[in-house]
Amino acid sequence: MDKKLAVQIDDLTVAYNYKPVLWDIDLEIPEGVLMAIVGPNGAGKSTLIKATLGILKPIAGSVSIYGKPYNKQRSLVAYVPQKGSVDWDFPTTALDVVLMGTYGSLGWIKRPGLKEKKAALEALEKVGMLPFKDRQISQLSGGQQQRIFLARALVQDASIYFMDEPFQGVDATTEIAIINILKELRKAGKTVIVVHHDLQTVPEYFDWVTFLNVKKIATGPVKDIFNDDNLTKTYGINYKVSIQE
Amino acid sequence: MNSAQIEIQLIASLVAIACAIPGTFLVLRKMAMISDAISHSILPGIVIGFFITQDLNSPLLILLAALTGVITVVLVERIQKTGLVKEDTAIGLVFPALFSIGVIMIAKNANDIHLDVDAVLLGELAFAPFDRLIISGIDVGPKSLWIIGSILMATIGLLIAFFKELKISTFDVGLAASLGFSPALIHYGLMTVASVTTVGAFDAVGAILVVALMIAPAASAYLLTTDLKKMLGLAIVFGVFSAISGYWLAHWLDASIAGSITTILGLLFLVIYLFAPSKGLIAVMYREKQQRTEVSLLTFLLHLKNHSEERERHVNHLQEHINWQKVRAKTVLDLALKNNMIVIDKKIVSLTEKGDEFTSLAIDYIITNEDAQIEDMKDDFFLFRG
Repeated sequence: MDKKLAVQIDDLTVAYNYKPVLWDIDLEIPEGVLMAIVGPNGAGKSTLIKATLGILKPIAGSVSIYGKPYNKQRSLVAYVPQKGSVDWDFPTTALDVVLMGTYGSLGWIKRPGLKEKKAALEALEKVGMLPFKDRQISQLSGGQQQRIFLARALVQDASIYFMDEPFQGVDATTEIAIINILKELRKAGKTVIVVHHDLQTVPEYFDWVTFLNVKKIATGPVKDIFNDDNLTKTYGINYKVSIQE
Repeated sequence: MNSAQIEIQLIASLVAIACAIPGTFLVLRKMAMISDAISHSILPGIVIGFFITQDLNSPLLILLAALTGVITVVLVERIQKTGLVKEDTAIGLVFPALFSIGVIMIAKNANDIHLDVDAVLLGELAFAPFDRLIISGIDVGPKSLWIIGSILMATIGLLIAFFKELKISTFDVGLAASLGFSPALIHYGLMTVASVTTVGAFDAVGAILVVALMIAPAASAYLLTTDLKKMLGLAIVFGVFSAISGYWLAHWLDASIAGSITTILGLLFLVIYLFAPSKGLIAVMYREKQQRTEVSLLTFLLHLKNHSEERERHVNHLQEHINWQKVRAKTVLDLALKNNMIVIDKKIVSLTEKGDEFTSLAIDYIITNEDAQIEDMKDDFFLFRG
């Protein structure tokens, strides 16, 4: 593969109170892949994303996005945090949450205008949430909330999408809707990186995978490295997944 | 109304507005207790500032005292970060320590300064009009009015400039950080505004009422609206309303103004807590009762759908068979009749077409948990409002 590298992570180490949660991670993510990050609870999957996006400060190592540090490349990156990380009782509507995706390109002080609103409405339409645009966010189901988050990332119109467990607590229909949108993004040449829990669906949904458990176990194309050997190394128990064609 | 009365009400109203703005964000950030900590621990800052400036209304004193407020926040966060104690414990450790230092400093120097603990805790709004600001021989009004007015202008300016940043970092810290809006900067900015407001309001209303003015109007507004701007607006309205009606309550009772304003704030919250249209206690209880009835209705309709034999559909049988009390059975039967979902012919109940359709849809919804087709039903039935 002589594709460009979308993300390059070198020697990344992150610790909470001096206890390492990520240990010397080297990771190269080629442009245009739809990649799953898998690993047991506490493996540092979310931490890896947060450290990549400068939300957490690593104690060592560096991250580059298309060859430059993240803080120079913010406009190329969209981020979907875990659904549980925000307060859904916050007094705001679905449309307003999606509009937050435009704040990055606006910068400090400037307010979203008509152009931003139009983009937000289009993103809502794309995830099938247009009829709910004025609804207070606590009045949405778990799946609908996740779609709102996805719409907010879409409105950022980025090159790389980081998503922290977008399938957590969503119904089957929403899961299919989300994965279809992610596949569309890949088709458009975007890079999509997803923290994922359901090992059964990895081969069906993704073309690239990273095994993580504090250290990086393996990374590469799903068809080459998604096997019992790597799963056992990552999860520490004898793991068998039936890989569907 | 004489001019002193008008001035007192004006000061109280400006204080209420200046408190409601940071208060709204403190409530949304679940940091209400921090305002309590700040309001107490700025005391040593005020005392030290008073030693230096000899003037309770000096801007330097306000800045020094506000700095103590920010230090409080930093100390609380430091202690909490060790992971040895939780946030509420950290708050409980920091502010009494700082406050007691202030109390000792006042006691040790009681002869030199006219600062007493009562005035600090409860304020004395009634005296505010006596301390005038004189510029080149012209009386331009009470000093407190100018101080809180300036603080309010600065707060409103910052709110308008950074509304979007405040909103995103309050709702979603992770996204705010990834977009480059430093949540730490906004956090300490908010803490600074809260501290400065607290000091500015301190002299007029005291440490305890400052907390009430920050938290109670915002908490009341939170129960009434699902829009951040409206929440801010309502919090301001409630604050001003309490300030003015509190003043007149004090006038009537011949009691402390600060105490009366706080009492009004408490009563206002109580009324809203009980009667708020969708989040209020009574609305919630009513909704739960409706939901119980509607679950019963659905159970009953499903029973009819599943049993074609007449024996199972006899009015009397329903009571003993589904094991409901008479009252409940009658409520459910009436509800179903009212909505044309059943017909009763010679005491035999059967589903109408509409009832049959409704039951299928409802069951479908419960099984698949899909929202789309149920939207129309939501207005009529609480059950589907999740």
